[in-house]
Amino acid sequence: MRPELKEYALDELFAKTFDIAGKAVRSTDKERAILLRSIPYVGGLLEPMLALGKPAATFLEIMGDYYTNIVNARARGKKVVMTTFCFDPTIFYAFDNLVPVTLEVGTVITSILWKRGSFDYMDFCTEVGFSETGCSSQRGTMGAYLAGAGVDIDMVAINMGGVCDTNGNAYSFAAQYLGKPFYGLDYPSELTPGDVTDYHHKDYRALIRFIEEQGGGRFDIDRLRELLEEKKIQDELTHELEDMQRLVPNPVPGLFNLMLYAGRYTWSGGKKYTRMLKEMVDVVRANADKGLSGLGKPEKCRAFLFYIDNFSFNVGMFQWLRKNQVSHMGNMLSRFFPDNAPYRRDVQGTCYRIDTTSLDTMIDTLADINARMPMTRTIRGPYDAPNMWLEDSLSLAEMYKADCCIYNGTPGCRNTWSNVKLIMRDLEKHGFPTHLVYADAFDGRVESWETTAMRLDEFFSVRGLL
Amino acid sequence: MSALFQEAAQSIDLAAIRTAKQNGMPVVGLTCSFAPVEIFYAAGIVPVRLRGIHTESLAIGDAYYGPFVCTFPKALLQQAGSGFYDFLDGAVITSGCDGMRRLDECWRKMGSDIEGTLPRWFTLFDVPHKPDGVALSWYESRIRKLMAAIEERFHVTITIEALEKAIRDQNMIREKIWELGVLRSQDPVFITGTEAFEALIARTVLPSDVYLDALTSLVDEVKNRTEPVSLGKKRLFVTGSICDDVDLFRQIEEKGAVVVGESVCYGMRNSCDTVREDQDPVTALAEHYLSGSICPRMFGYYPMRRDAILDMVKTAKADGVIMQNIRFCDLHGSENGLLEKDLEKEGIPALRIEKEYGTLTEKGRLRMRFDAFLEQLKSGDT
Repeated sequence: MRPELKEYALDELFAKTFDIAGKAVRSTDKERAILLRSIPYVGGLLEPMLALGKPAATFLEIMGDYYTNIVNARARGKKVVMTTFCFDPTIFYAFDNLVPVTLEVGTVITSILWKRGSFDYMDFCTEVGFSETGCSSQRGTMGAYLAGAGVDIDMVAINMGGVCDTNGNAYSFAAQYLGKPFYGLDYPSELTPGDVTDYHHKDYRALIRFIEEQGGGRFDIDRLRELLEEKKIQDELTHELEDMQRLVPNPVPGLFNLMLYAGRYTWSGGKKYTRMLKEMVDVVRANADKGLSGLGKPEKCRAFLFYIDNFSFNVGMFQWLRKNQVSHMGNMLSRFFPDNAPYRRDVQGTCYRIDTTSLDTMIDTLADINARMPMTRTIRGPYDAPNMWLEDSLSLAEMYKADCCIYNGTPGCRNTWSNVKLIMRDLEKHGFPTHLVYADAFDGRVESWETTAMRLDEFFSVRGLL
Repeated sequence: MSALFQEAAQSIDLAAIRTAKQNGMPVVGLTCSFAPVEIFYAAGIVPVRLRGIHTESLAIGDAYYGPFVCTFPKALLQQAGSGFYDFLDGAVITSGCDGMRRLDECWRKMGSDIEGTLPRWFTLFDVPHKPDGVALSWYESRIRKLMAAIEERFHVTITIEALEKAIRDQNMIREKIWELGVLRSQDPVFITGTEAFEALIARTVLPSDVYLDALTSLVDEVKNRTEPVSLGKKRLFVTGSICDDVDLFRQIEEKGAVVVGESVCYGMRNSCDTVREDQDPVTALAEHYLSGSICPRMFGYYPMRRDAILDMVKTAKADGVIMQNIRFCDLHGSENGLLEKDLEKEGIPALRIEKEYGTLTEKGRLRMRFDAFLEQLKSGDT
């Protein structure tokens, strides 16, 4: 890794970047123009983000808070838990001394904001022995923490056993390399049978024991109840957004998807996240009332991304969709499967319900939520089994009236690349033109954005979608 | 050299399997060492580990799998799609790793495209990704579920007595394999790594009674050999990704080394302990298969695996370790990175290679790497 890169503390860079970006919200047009000239790469995100108004300002604020918390953790006597994006962080916030840090969120930020993305960090992982074919979403910022350019980690806790090997493997490697204690939740291939639920619940309790032992902090039951009650509100607001997303034209701006899931991965149960969701609902409702599309121009086509988004060149994918008047109909990252979600209709009996009656019901709730987080729910069992990838994708694509489906992921995803050709065939059979993106969502070196965009152009043109 | 073991290691179509079938024994294919063979023997079924040897193309494998996937499951699918596994009465797909567990869907899809390629009984066997605590009882419940499925499909009853006998039989094999291991760790050594590895692979594909007799003969015969195979040669240990490639061992040994031990699936790795015979047999099997494995799919248990490998390397008095991984096998790829450093700390030279499954493509490159490594070992410049 370039030695100078080790001189910069990654989390602090993020905290400062979001702090400054947050201030840009209050700048004059002239100040903003000067700022954007000085930060051409950061501007790639900031400009379209600022155009979204209030919710984007709150988003920048909560991301700033997230990294400021991480930076200040040690000084405030708190411990840092390294965890994965699809691990619901509520449990950490229910302790009085824990702060979560999520590798994938950091990788997305560097991929979007930095000219060289997180290439140096990715390569550093390889330098110290990690497999170069491992998933770039972890390698992106894992390299920084392995190199000592991130904050000190106290423990690692994830939920990827039985779901994603490359993810579990990365965190396991990091724990070993850094000499930190590790706990991994494990998931059978099925979701709903009673014995599986029982396994989820028992395993989650063992996780809490691990956190208590390693963290030495106080688990606050009242705080947990407060967080879960707040999550109920957040789920309701998310449902409103998702309900309005069904309208034609779709009134939800594409970048709202990213804000929605990034907010949930970092601040689930947090008040500011609720505020952001309320502001998003206001924007979307105003669009819906006027019959406007969230694209800011007429909607020509609706695309459902049945895996993840592409972050490898600013927010190029979101911009491409906007430019071509294609509505982003959400993806696997943005669905969490609460029992009152608008899309529950086709997946009855497979969603979670928040129950704050007692400590036991709250812990069971957390276990159930974790078992239904993106990836954790959908890509654990056979893709064509009940409640898994195919069924979820079809029900979402149909409900949101998608005109086509797009797979975008990373070559590091052994799991989805092992059956994406199969699901593609099935989606096509069900009438959804389906496109596989061979790029890396986090590593622009694998396929340039220009090539990815050219292939998207080709797909939409050949299939007569645009 | 045992002709039986040579044939077993180099061929999918085996006379011993044909005979078992003629005698009315069903044959079930297994994809992973986490499926306890004892429950199949107790049901009167011959379990056979599936292999992708002699694959000349991956046209079928690539039609179902994406490009960024290890060539091992692709080769298995290729051979199944090409009719090499038409003799199977069933197959059990285990969630060994993501690529292997997706063999379930790829094979089923292929079965609907190419008639006759899907065994009549085809099932997925869940294995947790940690060896203890709540996972252990879960795994035991999965074994019981699998036993029930076998009983239903094959109209048999798996009795406690039959299970206990199967455990005793397999334990005898394990103990004989340890004897072989001891012979390999002697200095000088009288059996090549290639020959020993053939015997170990044979264990995964031959009926256990046939195998035990042949292994016993081999061990007795090696004990009486007088011609050492290790004189003037460096002693090497092989570890890493799944490997049933006898030619890999042959290549290493042709360069003037002797392979004195290995920790790979199909090799010694899964025979490190016996199954307890003094408790409920299913519980004993669960404890043995889950806790005794040193597969990196068990996240967070690297120290246990490192200690086991270091112990094997030292017992075998190896001069160096070759760590191999199949491309896209991130589990072993990364773990080899950690192991390389730990071997270095112990002063044990190591070579880390990445390759495709099988021997078709990379002989020249690998030979060069082995040559260079041995040269370093001989010069002491490691």
